Amino acid sequence: MTDAAVVTKVDSRGTACPGPITDLAMAYRRSKVGDTIEIWATDPGFKPDVQAWAAKTGNPIISLEEGPEKITAVIRVVRR
Amino acid sequence: MSRILILGGGSAGTILANQLGGRRDSVTLLTASMEHLFQPALLYIALTGANANVVRDERRLVLRSVKLVQERVTKVDLNQKLVEGSSGERYTYDRLVLATGVRTDPEQIPGLPAVYREFGNYHSGIALAQRLWSALRNFDGGTIALGQSTPICVCPPSPVEGILLLDRLLRRRGLRHRTRLVLFTPYPRAYPAQGINSVIEPLLKERGIEVMTFFDLDRIDTETKVIHSIEGDEITYDLPIIIPPFFGPDINFEPSEVADPSGFLLTDRETLRVKGFDSVYAIGDASSLPTSKAGVGAHLEAKVVARALRGDRAIFNGRTNCPMDLGDGRGTFVIGSYRTPVVPYRPSRLNLLMKHAMARMYWASLRGTLEPIFDLYFWLTTPERLSRRRVSKGA
Ligand SMILES: Cc1cc2nc3c(=O)[nH]c(=O)nc-3n(C[C@H](O)[C@H](O)[C@H](O)COP(=O)(O)OP(=O)(O)OC[C@H]3O[C@@H](n4cnc5c(N)ncnc54)[C@H](O)[C@@H]3O)c2cc1C
Repeated sequence: MTDAAVVTKVDSRGTACPGPITDLAMAYRRSKVGDTIEIWATDPGFKPDVQAWAAKTGNPIISLEEGPEKITAVIRVVRR
Repeated sequence: MSRILILGGGSAGTILANQLGGRRDSVTLLTASMEHLFQPALLYIALTGANANVVRDERRLVLRSVKLVQERVTKVDLNQKLVEGSSGERYTYDRLVLATGVRTDPEQIPGLPAVYREFGNYHSGIALAQRLWSALRNFDGGTIALGQSTPICVCPPSPVEGILLLDRLLRRRGLRHRTRLVLFTPYPRAYPAQGINSVIEPLLKERGIEVMTFFDLDRIDTETKVIHSIEGDEITYDLPIIIPPFFGPDINFEPSEVADPSGFLLTDRETLRVKGFDSVYAIGDASSLPTSKAGVGAHLEAKVVARALRGDRAIFNGRTNCPMDLGDGRGTFVIGSYRTPVVPYRPSRLNLLMKHAMARMYWASLRGTLEPIFDLYFWLTTPERLSRRRVSKGA
């Protein structure tokens, strides 16, 4: 039996230090291939960070939206 | 009279107990060990061979009006308001504060227990810190790889401080030209918060320290001496310095949903209440708060909960204030809050003196007698004020 794919939602709004990238890295550690990670952040530096993270790890960003209140990134875990 | 029960006699629990003790409520503090360790000293024991007196007896740190009991808590039933200890004793409460800090579990990373047997580390007790110092004394050149096991790190500046202090040590010993120093990190840069990274990165470059980013530790092969990351990268080492993986307390909670997958207590970031329980709080490293796991946060959170337990409105603003020794006689601070991102804080000799002065004040700060000084300091260095100053200076 294989574990079903999981959608993990991480609310990283308002984090200052160490910052939302820590939450993404932690969610990735706990994930498995097939899972989806949705992360919310307010730190403007999160957008370039999540893009660099996706490029490095080879996990695609399915959507990256910048709204008035938050940045929402959805990532599919295809590699780890 | 309300019965307040505090679990954990480290920085957070001791400060809170002393703030509440002597008032009308009954305050009981349960702690697994009467040996109170000043953890920041481990950095200097392991990387400079310091031999300071860094443990005190908790009985001498807590006001007499607080009932202090040595007890390792094994179970907390939040629905029944019942706490059980390894002695078999049971405790009830009206209001509960969880301040049990972190637990390290090297077994979670293949190869890590063997690394610690040989090389020690600087995040889990005096014996392992001394082991690391003796490994460094025998080191004669090669590659030293330093980094964290998981993205959660107690004292987030400590990996950068560690590598900078190593650089200084090796230069003094005339070994630097024969040593490759590698800092690996799961983050996109040496320090996760960009504000302070902009201060640190030039220093690392200047000192020839390599930074491997997006390196999430997977396993260590002690036969081939290779550290592997989840991302597929490798570092071959001669001496590995690995910060352990940190977890929440080893306590059976009822309901279990109050803890996150790493065992940290799900805590409201402003009220510090544990999710779903109005009379239960979590402070210090044991919480899942999205701030640095550091003594300064533990201190400020203890003050917020002390006020809340006295019936005042109190909100935690996410303030961080972590000192960082830059290994060249200067220091900086990582200062930010929920509202204000970490500010770039100029390194100076004064900052390092402040770091050491704060360390000297640690034992007195647990008693609460220095609060007016801390209040003034925190007010003068609010991140909002610092970033306004930068803007007006055109920095
Ligand atoms: C190398 C290093 C350098 C650091 N440098 C700094 C620095 O410069 N500035 C700074 O602010 N912070 C620094 N820190 C971090 C700081 O030491 C911690 O963040 C702080 O001690 C956290 O306080 P706490 O009360 O949450 O946990 P702790 O101080 O760890 O206390 C936890 C307490 O709970 C008790 N306990 C645990 N489990 C149980 C149980 N089941 N039942 C009962 N009792 C239990 C323990 O015995 C302990 O007394 C550093 C840490 C390290 C390792």
